[in-house]
Amino acid sequence: MAERHRIALVDVNSFYVSCERVFDPRLAGIPVVVLSNNDGCVVARSDEAKALGIKTGEPWFKLAEAAPKLGLVQRSSNYELYGDLSSRVMQLLSRFSSEQEIYSIDECFLHLHGTDDELRGRGTDIRAAVAKNIGLPVCVGIGPTKTLAKFANRIAKQNPHMGGVCNLDALDPAVVDTIMSRVPVTGLWGVGSRNGTRLNALGIHTVADLRDADPAVIRAKFSVVLQRTVLELNGTSCIPMDTESADKQQVLFSRSFATPVTTRESMRQVMSLYAQKAAIRLAREGQLAGVMTVFASTSRFSGTDASSPSATVRLQRPTADPLMLTRAAIDAMDPRMVEGARYAKAGIMLTGLSPAGAEPVFDLFDAGPEQKDIGPLLAKVTDKYGAASIGLGLAGMSTAKPDWTMARNFASPRYTTEWSDLPVVKAV
Amino acid sequence: MPVFSSAPAPHSGGAKEQPPSRGSTLPAGFASPAQDYYDAGIDLNRHLIRDATSTFIMRVSGDAMDGAGISDGDELIVDRSLTPKDGSVVVAVLNGELIIRRLLLTGQGIFLHADSPGSKDIRVPDPAELSVWGVATRCLHHV
Repeated sequence: MAERHRIALVDVNSFYVSCERVFDPRLAGIPVVVLSNNDGCVVARSDEAKALGIKTGEPWFKLAEAAPKLGLVQRSSNYELYGDLSSRVMQLLSRFSSEQEIYSIDECFLHLHGTDDELRGRGTDIRAAVAKNIGLPVCVGIGPTKTLAKFANRIAKQNPHMGGVCNLDALDPAVVDTIMSRVPVTGLWGVGSRNGTRLNALGIHTVADLRDADPAVIRAKFSVVLQRTVLELNGTSCIPMDTESADKQQVLFSRSFATPVTTRESMRQVMSLYAQKAAIRLAREGQLAGVMTVFASTSRFSGTDASSPSATVRLQRPTADPLMLTRAAIDAMDPRMVEGARYAKAGIMLTGLSPAGAEPVFDLFDAGPEQKDIGPLLAKVTDKYGAASIGLGLAGMSTAKPDWTMARNFASPRYTTEWSDLPVVKAV
Repeated sequence: MPVFSSAPAPHSGGAKEQPPSRGSTLPAGFASPAQDYYDAGIDLNRHLIRDATSTFIMRVSGDAMDGAGISDGDELIVDRSLTPKDGSVVVAVLNGELIIRRLLLTGQGIFLHADSPGSKDIRVPDPAELSVWGVATRCLHHV
């Protein structure tokens, strides 16, 4: 059987809920939801919660009263826990492939080589390793392109009898065709509802319809991005690795380096660059980050010189300030990296995102070096032009509630990042 | 991820705690203290944690494992990637709780044994019902 080069998309099922379940076995098999910042609305659901008809985005106050009767358990989001378990998953998955692209907090692409049987076996190994080492359930989709790997992952999720692994090549082509002609085009990676409506107007309703569309027409009427989707559905890999990603719940920058980074000084530059990019992204989306995860790793062929530092830290306050993000990233990475180790990749992930309006007006107790210079300048300007004329970033202009009033009433302990919050094991 | 923060992260992937070879000419059995490290200082992560992805720290509550030197309030290093054997000290899931016991695989069946006279062994009637969360590798005992 022919050896193939394939792409796998590995993602954790109901990631936030699954993280909560690792340290609290009582949550297994019951409906669980994780709530957004401030316990506002549902951001993650267990399968059992989905079966109750609970939707993502549903406000908690509408569910609170019925929850005890439904047996529904809620948790505040615990981004320290999710960030730490995420970096464990990513580090473990990197051992299965020479090339890994971390795409979000709970999913990554891996390049794999092998026959159809070997690829399926690798998928099964990956699933078993993550379940054993970290206690999280994953699904693995394998295909010739990223888009098809994502699609295969969807098939694996929706067909429990497949055991969480779907290698698209190993399926009967007629079966794949049938599935593609049933799944609406909006079920595809990268096809939003707005494009979906426009595609429908052109008679393109299903994944199969888009696969058979003329790529040139799609490019002319939509974008080069959607054209790539068409090409990828036909087996031509054209979405590059290492693209930056951001969804509503996190901002992530991760890159492989052409030349290994070996010194603390260059790693500081990398962290600084990523932090600034992240700050720009946050500012553009009008968001602040509450928790930061930094990570780096040497190549998997490093043997005893291997090093995979990572850390998840809660920021002093929710922020989009490039200075604060840069300092936090460097402070987190600096003591954990090994001077002289050859780092092949590094990244920053920001989670615990909240709308920028929720930032405190001004943190007088935040002793940053930059304040010494900026403070007097601010004072001069406000003396001359009035109190609201200038401020530090969004903080100066905002008048919303400070973060320390943010509700986290149903939070689990920070099991893996705080010494005082370690999980308790009973000797009884 | 490092559980002892402010120290360099543990080396992963390598199965054993082996210091990197630096081409030392020192006689065998006489290790240079500086040889093992890029930076000065002993890094407990490196010596106590075999695989950073699968190792978790837990805190003990209760006295049932006193006989094994594991006391109330001690911290345990637990590695999920290890396969439990007869005699392993394991973290098991029982009735929705995490408990620490010694696993005994005997001709009479599977037992979660308490290393103290006051506590009774728990018999696991069906191997399929045994849920081991992880294997304890070290106890950080408070002296």
